[in-house]
Amino acid sequence: MRIIVHGVGATGSRAARQLVSSEHVESLLLIDNDLAAAESVAVSLGEPAATACLDGLRTETRVQRFREKCDDADVVVLTASDDHVELARAALECGAHVVSVSDEMDTVEDLRKLHDLASERHLSLVLGAGFAPGLACLLARHAANGLDVVDEIHIAKFGTGGPACARQHHRALRSDGLDWRNGQWERKRGGTGRELCWFPDPVGGLDCFQAALPEPLLLQPAFPGLVRCTSKVAATRRDMSTKWLPMLRKPHPEGMIGAVRVDVRGWSGTIRNSVIFGALDRPAVAAGAVASVAAKFAVEERFDRTGAGGLAELLADPVPALQLLADRGVRAAVFEGIESSF
Amino acid sequence: MIRAVRRSLFALSLTGLVALFLRFQGENKATTPHQGGWRELSGPDLR
Repeated sequence: MRIIVHGVGATGSRAARQLVSSEHVESLLLIDNDLAAAESVAVSLGEPAATACLDGLRTETRVQRFREKCDDADVVVLTASDDHVELARAALECGAHVVSVSDEMDTVEDLRKLHDLASERHLSLVLGAGFAPGLACLLARHAANGLDVVDEIHIAKFGTGGPACARQHHRALRSDGLDWRNGQWERKRGGTGRELCWFPDPVGGLDCFQAALPEPLLLQPAFPGLVRCTSKVAATRRDMSTKWLPMLRKPHPEGMIGAVRVDVRGWSGTIRNSVIFGALDRPAVAAGAVASVAAKFAVEERFDRTGAGGLAELLADPVPALQLLADRGVRAAVFEGIESSF
Repeated sequence: MIRAVRRSLFALSLTGLVALFLRFQGENKATTPHQGGWRELSGPDLR
């Protein structure tokens, strides 16, 4: 397996570490604008990791240099936001599968436009292969498989990975999100719709808000019968009061513990049912593991179809992926509740 | 003058009552479980 990882931040370096420990890795090329950071990760990983830098002022120059690197690659894992869509297109044109961990709505929508290109070449373009989306999509599919009919999916997430993830969290809170309601998309203002969501312990209950999150865009095509699909993110009072401003201080190198909650509602026969899954981990660590599992599945052609899609679309049976993630320390939990008497 | 103050106080208290009603309207109408606990997914859950 010949692998390229673009971006060696908190998530990219974790994905690279997971991938290099996989079997049959012939080469692992780490590409980053910060060559010193890439080299330090490569040294810590050892053989067969190598480094490169796409130095260039113009996007065309950087994409051309990337093409030269990925001519013989089997899979490209894109973790940096720079030139994300252009690099995905170049990788597909070079014949490599692409795994994107982007959680930006615009990027996910633009990447989906590459579906035809990926399908024609019998390649997989995995969208949102991170903690949430990513693990959240796998858990949604697993929960849905336990119901006869699924009509509502509600995602909530807490925590951020590295600095890029913290910046994206800040941007998402002040941007409009999209909810799927009754067969159409509804635009929701970022920072509205406060809801108390319960995450696995020790995170517990947190206020979650609307934001520009891509989960509904990835889940709606996977579950055509959906009536409602929403996604919210936990935010503190400081997050909410400063969301309109630029980030007032440099983001932390890596966030603390994060959590995701997936609430899938539907019918089991004639009984209304709700399955709630959750997970607790450092978001960057979990995202790296999910990206590496997605890359492995793409190269081994274990997805149900080729083309672009989220993990809930590409895998009708997510159990092998969840087992692989559990082996790598990313464990999910189920909420076993007592029905409310109200 | 006193009448205007009285009217404004009445309007404010009425607004407060309406706000209180709206704030607490809809509580305890949850459809999802609110009590219980989390259990890690293990062998049988991942089959």
